[in-house]
Amino acid sequence: MKRVVFLVFSIVCCFFMMTNMSFAEYPERNLNGYIMWGSGGALDNVSRAVTPAAETRLGKKVILQNKPGATGAVALTYVYNLPADGYSLLYGSENPLLYKVLGITDKDYEDFYPIMLFINSAGVVCVSADSPYKDFTDLVKTAKTSPKPLNAGSTGPAGLPFVASSLIRAVNGVKFNDVSFDGEGPCITALLGGHIDVVCVGVPAAAPFIRSGRVRALAVISDKRISQFPDVPSLVEISQEYKKFFPWGPFHGVFVKKGSPDYVIAKLTNAFEFACDDEKFDKFVQDFGGVKLALTGSKAVDYIRHNQSVSAWLLHDMGYTKKSPADFGIPRP
Amino acid sequence: MGTLSSFLVPILNVKLLLLVLLGTFGGIWVGAIPGLSVTMAASLLISFTFSWDIYDAIALICGVYMGGVYGGGITSILLNIPGAPAAIATGFDGYPLTMKGEAPKALGLACTVSFFGGLLGIIVLLFAAPIISRIALQVAPRDYFLLAMMGILLLTSMGSGDTIKGIIAGAVGVLLSMVGMDPSTGEMRYTFGSVYLMQGISFVPAMIGLFGVTEGLSQARDVTVAAIKQNVDKIIPSLKLLLKYLPLSLRSALIGIWIGALPGTGGDIAALIAYDAAKRTVKKPSAPFGKGAYEGVIAPESANIAAVGGAFIPMLTLGIPGDAVTAIIIGAFIIHGLRPGPLFMVETPNMFGVIVSCLLIANIAKLIIAMCSIKFFTKVIDVPRAILIPVVIILSVIGTYAIQNSLVDVYWMLGFGVLGYFMRLYGFATAPMVLGLILGPILDSNYRRAMQSVNNDPMIFLHDLVTNPISLILVVFIVYMIISQTPQWKRFTSKARTKTSASNR
Repeated sequence: MKRVVFLVFSIVCCFFMMTNMSFAEYPERNLNGYIMWGSGGALDNVSRAVTPAAETRLGKKVILQNKPGATGAVALTYVYNLPADGYSLLYGSENPLLYKVLGITDKDYEDFYPIMLFINSAGVVCVSADSPYKDFTDLVKTAKTSPKPLNAGSTGPAGLPFVASSLIRAVNGVKFNDVSFDGEGPCITALLGGHIDVVCVGVPAAAPFIRSGRVRALAVISDKRISQFPDVPSLVEISQEYKKFFPWGPFHGVFVKKGSPDYVIAKLTNAFEFACDDEKFDKFVQDFGGVKLALTGSKAVDYIRHNQSVSAWLLHDMGYTKKSPADFGIPRP
Repeated sequence: MGTLSSFLVPILNVKLLLLVLLGTFGGIWVGAIPGLSVTMAASLLISFTFSWDIYDAIALICGVYMGGVYGGGITSILLNIPGAPAAIATGFDGYPLTMKGEAPKALGLACTVSFFGGLLGIIVLLFAAPIISRIALQVAPRDYFLLAMMGILLLTSMGSGDTIKGIIAGAVGVLLSMVGMDPSTGEMRYTFGSVYLMQGISFVPAMIGLFGVTEGLSQARDVTVAAIKQNVDKIIPSLKLLLKYLPLSLRSALIGIWIGALPGTGGDIAALIAYDAAKRTVKKPSAPFGKGAYEGVIAPESANIAAVGGAFIPMLTLGIPGDAVTAIIIGAFIIHGLRPGPLFMVETPNMFGVIVSCLLIANIAKLIIAMCSIKFFTKVIDVPRAILIPVVIILSVIGTYAIQNSLVDVYWMLGFGVLGYFMRLYGFATAPMVLGLILGPILDSNYRRAMQSVNNDPMIFLHDLVTNPISLILVVFIVYMIISQTPQWKRFTSKARTKTSASNR
């Protein structure tokens, strides 16, 4: 009799221990967060702004590290190679969506689950304040008629400046000379020095210069005007042909590897939803110059897929891709 | 009035004063320890001071910055292991001086000129920041390319050993720097499908390996060789010596300020170009360059610290970082809710005064602290090799891992260390390879940018080289650098010299 009681007791204990370890205790230890771009950049700022509040809900710290390289491919591959146990988070931007068609690597966000997309920022078409272009139509006219193509800044084929200028190329039929730099910051520096004529960068990078009058914003790469610069028209306002591409733009979010347990996803989603509701984050979004997304689950997946459709087919139609989006089952927007 | 009194803030506020001193002291140590660098310390401090008042954080970071740049030179001179990239050039003549038993004198000179160079950098920052930043913006990609060319030409004249071997090492360094993702097109170069190679071969692990581990391994061959006795009598340079070298120091500091003010280039390039300039302009060095010339220590040490002041210029006037550390400081501003950018000085005018003041205090503190600790640091040479070498190697591993928490970096570092050992064995110096790794990407991406800007038309590229004032000056320098090495030129100048001395008789 005693033996049976003991046996049942130990089985019940084991059962409790197992369920404890699975459900009540995640996270048991600190998590690691890998940011796919370098310190000081837009993604870095967003990640470090939103994580502290999430940590209070998780009860453990998220140790943030920058793992830049190959437009984010290094961090993505690194986290992909770690176990899907919820202790490795990937903080990423929109660049991975172009990895497959550009041949950078064969993995992208399809191999991950978006816990939350925090914020999306709009790009702005910028020229130097002492350039002769008064507005967007002016720029397009000069670009079309000038004997030498205008120089446009770029941060590489997977970056916003290049994809955005491809967008303008596709709709307005102008050709630019792409001059590549190490980031949006150096692009603006070059713009100020007169070494390039135009560049499309994110609002966060351009805002201080637009505010101080050194840089003129000709158009917002979005379907509506943004509150930070209400006098700047949106591309859709200028030409309805842009409408089909939006909503689109750079975004920043946090991901876990696909196949992570449901309780991990639930807990993380809960924590980051809490962080995004925080009014400190609202203030950050305002200063940052973006729009709060706070998308989770299937809404986030749809957003990402639409973004990928637009970018991938845009670049493919312009001839900049190595493989066709059709090879990966990416539908047209 | 608000701005003027802001200069006094760090001086009158004891907490800030102590933080600057603490930072300077810590910075000297961090800079000296091989494997740890100022950039790394700065990024650690940013997270560490996350919840602090911004002035406190700035005081600490300015101290670490000023101390660290000099600190790197300490181990460069004593052990031939630069503590930071900015100190690579210091060791060219610094280490030979140690071999001659004059390490304390070298350290004393380095410390003093570091003070003057830093002072000049701060003065220029204070008075000429807006003008310099405006000019710095005009520097085009082709000019960066020319600057990198000047750096590469240094390889041909680095007389420490066989010139040909130096060129080979440098060329391999440039080749290795090409590995990774092409910056313009995203094409993979020499990556063989590996994600690790995709991010390229970073020069910091390579530098730590090629200097730290290599030196350790090389010295391990003769562990029992006694350390060279150092002459600790003459640490503080005499006034006569100071006055003799002041012009060179100030010239080098000017070079440092300009190169620091260029966004993206910092103390390491400044020190190299200043060293090269000194080599070409100093006719009678105290010893041949590369064999323990005092000028070979003065020039880089003046330039790399002046570059600190220079790096703050674009950062404060435009919100564009002048080098890696100022980029991190910009990040700190953003985290603390400030908005660096062209309006920064307008929106937060007190910050400028506080920063300049902190830098000044740090500069003075560095002079005093460093002078007092030279005797102590010199004792490092007396530590038995059997203890020193493993410590250096362990620190190198830790320092390399601390960069990006990447074991791959550590493997690279160790690999380069072993490579460097064999290079030394066959008479190849390792510094040119590190230089190649640093300068290669600058050369490559700026040449590409310059060509892209002119639609790949070489005629327009060449035309731009001679029609823009900045480019023209740099081209003239480069042409001079190349021609002055040729025997014809040397014959021509020595003939002119004998003619003038004959006519003077």
